[in-house]
Amino acid sequence: MLSSADFLFYFLGLVSLVFGLGVVLFRNPIYSALCLVITMISVAGIFGTLDAWFIAGVQLIVYAGAVTVLFVMVLMLFDLKHEMKTFSKGVIGNGVKLAASGVLLGMLGTYIWATYATEPTFKPLPAAATSSIKATKDLATSLFTTYIFSFEVIGILLLVIAVGAVTLSRITGGTHHAD
Amino acid sequence: MGKDVFEIVVNCVKMLLIFLVMVQLVPILVWLERRVSAFMQNRFGPNRVGPLGLIQLLADAVKFLFKEPFFPEKGMAVMYYGAPIMALIPGALALAAIPLGAPFHLEQFTWLGREWGPYDFIMQGYDFGVGIVIVLGVSSLGAYSLLMAGWGSSNKYSLLGALRASAQMVSYELALGLSLVGILMVFNTFSFYDIIAQQTGMPLTFNFFGKVHSIAWLPNWGIFFNPLGALIFFCASFAETNRLPFDLPEAEGELVAGFHTEYGGFALLMFYIGEYGHMMVASALMATFYFGGYTIPYVANESVANWVSSGGLATHPNWAAFLTSLIFFLVFLLKVFLFLLIYIWVRWTLPRFRYDQLMDLGWKTMLPWALFNTVLTAVWLAFSHRPV
Amino acid sequence: MSALLAFLIFVGILAGFGAFLIILSSSLGPRPKPNPAKNMPYESGVAGTETAESRVSVKFYLTAILFIIFDIEIIFMYPWALSFMDFVKSGQGMYILGAMGIFIFLFVVGLIWEVKSKALDWNR
Repeated sequence: MLSSADFLFYFLGLVSLVFGLGVVLFRNPIYSALCLVITMISVAGIFGTLDAWFIAGVQLIVYAGAVTVLFVMVLMLFDLKHEMKTFSKGVIGNGVKLAASGVLLGMLGTYIWATYATEPTFKPLPAAATSSIKATKDLATSLFTTYIFSFEVIGILLLVIAVGAVTLSRITGGTHHAD
Repeated sequence: MGKDVFEIVVNCVKMLLIFLVMVQLVPILVWLERRVSAFMQNRFGPNRVGPLGLIQLLADAVKFLFKEPFFPEKGMAVMYYGAPIMALIPGALALAAIPLGAPFHLEQFTWLGREWGPYDFIMQGYDFGVGIVIVLGVSSLGAYSLLMAGWGSSNKYSLLGALRASAQMVSYELALGLSLVGILMVFNTFSFYDIIAQQTGMPLTFNFFGKVHSIAWLPNWGIFFNPLGALIFFCASFAETNRLPFDLPEAEGELVAGFHTEYGGFALLMFYIGEYGHMMVASALMATFYFGGYTIPYVANESVANWVSSGGLATHPNWAAFLTSLIFFLVFLLKVFLFLLIYIWVRWTLPRFRYDQLMDLGWKTMLPWALFNTVLTAVWLAFSHRPV
Repeated sequence: MSALLAFLIFVGILAGFGAFLIILSSSLGPRPKPNPAKNMPYESGVAGTETAESRVSVKFYLTAILFIIFDIEIIFMYPWALSFMDFVKSGQGMYILGAMGIFIFLFVVGLIWEVKSKALDWNR
């Protein structure tokens, strides 16, 4: 008999897989984006089955509530028929597509090959981390002590992204006519 | 396994009850809105159907059901019909995460010829332990309903309205999220019940540079610890719910009716249910974080329980516990209604912003002030921490 | 775990309830013959000149991407707010204040840059 935790894991995993496939297989990009939303939400649910509720909430806020909203809004900006034509022709375009999928496949293959034979090294959860609040506090403690340098670097990285996004939005040309 | 199934059923029933409360409050709110606006504009408002016009909305709902179904010619069916369904979900889920009353304990009792063990009920649909983070995450999904409606209707005005609405929602989500950081720092927890528990108790006690002060005639509410945060949160919640003075998505002079231009009948009503649901969530969060949740100022929680059990209202301890929780629920509902009244009051008082003013207010005024509030609270707490 | 399962079941019930309402209302109403004028996108009575495919301003995109960046920065403040008092009580108040101080300084620099570069000005 399946326990409810097992059932949830398999159910959410199946949902995220099916809709992840939907992201790739739908011809219409707006449906792909909506599938991506459901994939993100089910990944948040999987974090929930691991009792990482803070991470689940962050997954909902940042990925489902912000990043994918950006995708959907971007799709509204484009003239989709024009974009589709531009991106589905040309030797260079096809070459870039092949190269990109080759790199991704290679990375995935290498990862599977490198970790296939080794035993998984899960650290057992500390016994104290029972409640979600306690787990989040542990996360905060290690974030602000052990990983403080990475944390500040993220601040700089986000600043660079903000500057870069504004600069890029000023550029006209490419598939966009300056209007 | 049996215990699991029982828990799942109880949780589902609780969430359904909360959803039904939300859906039932919507007609009352619409009626209230129309009556209050009529009062403010020296009119009568709906007063013919039933006493005080209270049944007007029931009549409207029945009329909505029998409207002609309309589907735009070039629209996309999945998104056009999915959008109103999606409008219901985030509000209901967020409301189910907020405690609506004090938790209560039931002793063992016999019912239907079976022993039912002692239970502890929380007046909350679900509690994952991180309270506010889940609420923010769930309600951030509300933008999809608008985007789907705008995209599926295949109408220029719907699309523009949806884009405006979602850009506005995300802009004010920043100020909304940041304004809560201060109060979370004060209470040191994410859990709603802990936050409410810290706001019970009468004299307002705080530590000011190492000296403990207390003001006897003020309750221990969050608003006294973080007034600026409360103000920013309340203002941002107006924009989150797309209410006047921030109802740019449906600025009828510019966009016909915004993202729901092509909708009619019950689908339109579902968008309204979603909007009022978001208003209830914002009001409930306001009451929980800044106004003591379900607690009654000047009255200790225990004295309510004593009053119920000694006043002869309920003889059995189970009924007494249930009644006590019900009283707290009504108090919470009263607080929520006060904030909803402020929403209605503001709607019929202030004119609409221009879009650039709206964006300026969100990004250049409210976000820096929310940041200032955070820094101020942090410095205050670091130099004089609050006694618990 | 049962809380999460109940949560998912509730989402299913909500979606089912919404779909039921939509189906109910669309099966009860009258269905007159399709009318080309009525099926046109509604534009206050005049015939439409533009379709919904016409492109919209890039400012919406810029707003969304800046929102993501600041949203991530704000998310980092939540665990900080949660554990702030613990650090203060263990005598590390200045440390935790400084750690977030640098981060907030970068946040403010970003915000000032956005304002100065007029990326947030809607009437540019």
